[in-house]
Amino acid sequence: MNNKKTFLVDCSEAAKCCDKSQYKESSIAEKVKMLLHLVFCKNCRKYSSNNTRLTKLIEKSNIQTCTEEQKKAWREKIKKEFTDI
Amino acid sequence: MSTNKIDPNKWVDRYSDYLFNYTIVRVNDREVANDLISETFLAGLKSMKNFKGEATERTWLISILKRKIIDHYRKSNSKKGKAEIKIQYNDDSSEGDWLEENAPDRFDKTAEDVMENEELGVAILECMGQLNEKQAKIFKMKTIDGFDTEAICNEFNITPSNLWVIIHRARTILAQCLEKNWY
Repeated sequence: MNNKKTFLVDCSEAAKCCDKSQYKESSIAEKVKMLLHLVFCKNCRKYSSNNTRLTKLIEKSNIQTCTEEQKKAWREKIKKEFTDI
Repeated sequence: MSTNKIDPNKWVDRYSDYLFNYTIVRVNDREVANDLISETFLAGLKSMKNFKGEATERTWLISILKRKIIDHYRKSNSKKGKAEIKIQYNDDSSEGDWLEENAPDRFDKTAEDVMENEELGVAILECMGQLNEKQAKIFKMKTIDGFDTEAICNEFNITPSNLWVIIHRARTILAQCLEKNWY
């Protein structure tokens, strides 16, 4: 990504704000600046739409993680069995 | 050709979430899934000598897991023979004389969608294999488990801007990896 500066924000800042807003953690001021940047920057528009799509895909996929306790139990079991061999 | 090495102590961190999602789609029960994965790890340890390094560690573990899942279904199928089927003939008011007409319609529209979404989950986790361990762990905590930025920063002893850099890299890699099949 080339670092183009439009309206006080460069591409890396815009990208960071875009990432943050995927987790609803960007402030309104940041968002306004990002949106202004997007108007003038094609690369960032592409990044932004891909990024939003990724968020939606992850939501849709319903990925589950194993519990930490379960992982710990597995780790210990493997360690024990592994040293026995 | 033996380029792929095996390291059982990393299995849980590297593959457990992937194996878990792969299994849960197929058996639909957390406890059964956990048991099957335990068996897979143990079977993997026992047959480590047979690992030739031609496939990746993950592919190899999945091939063991597949067999465990099939065995699981065989076992539960052999119990099925003993089940008794009771048909309740409803009173005259209900419509349809044929059994088929009384059976619930299983082919509702969502079934296929659900299927596709679960395959998607496995695809995403497959792509996460391209991230390094720290990136993958932080990305999962943030995106799937929904931890606060602050909590993650404290656990890994990093600053929020470190965190966003890691998240950014992870998202870029994942978007690229998924682009081919899912965008």
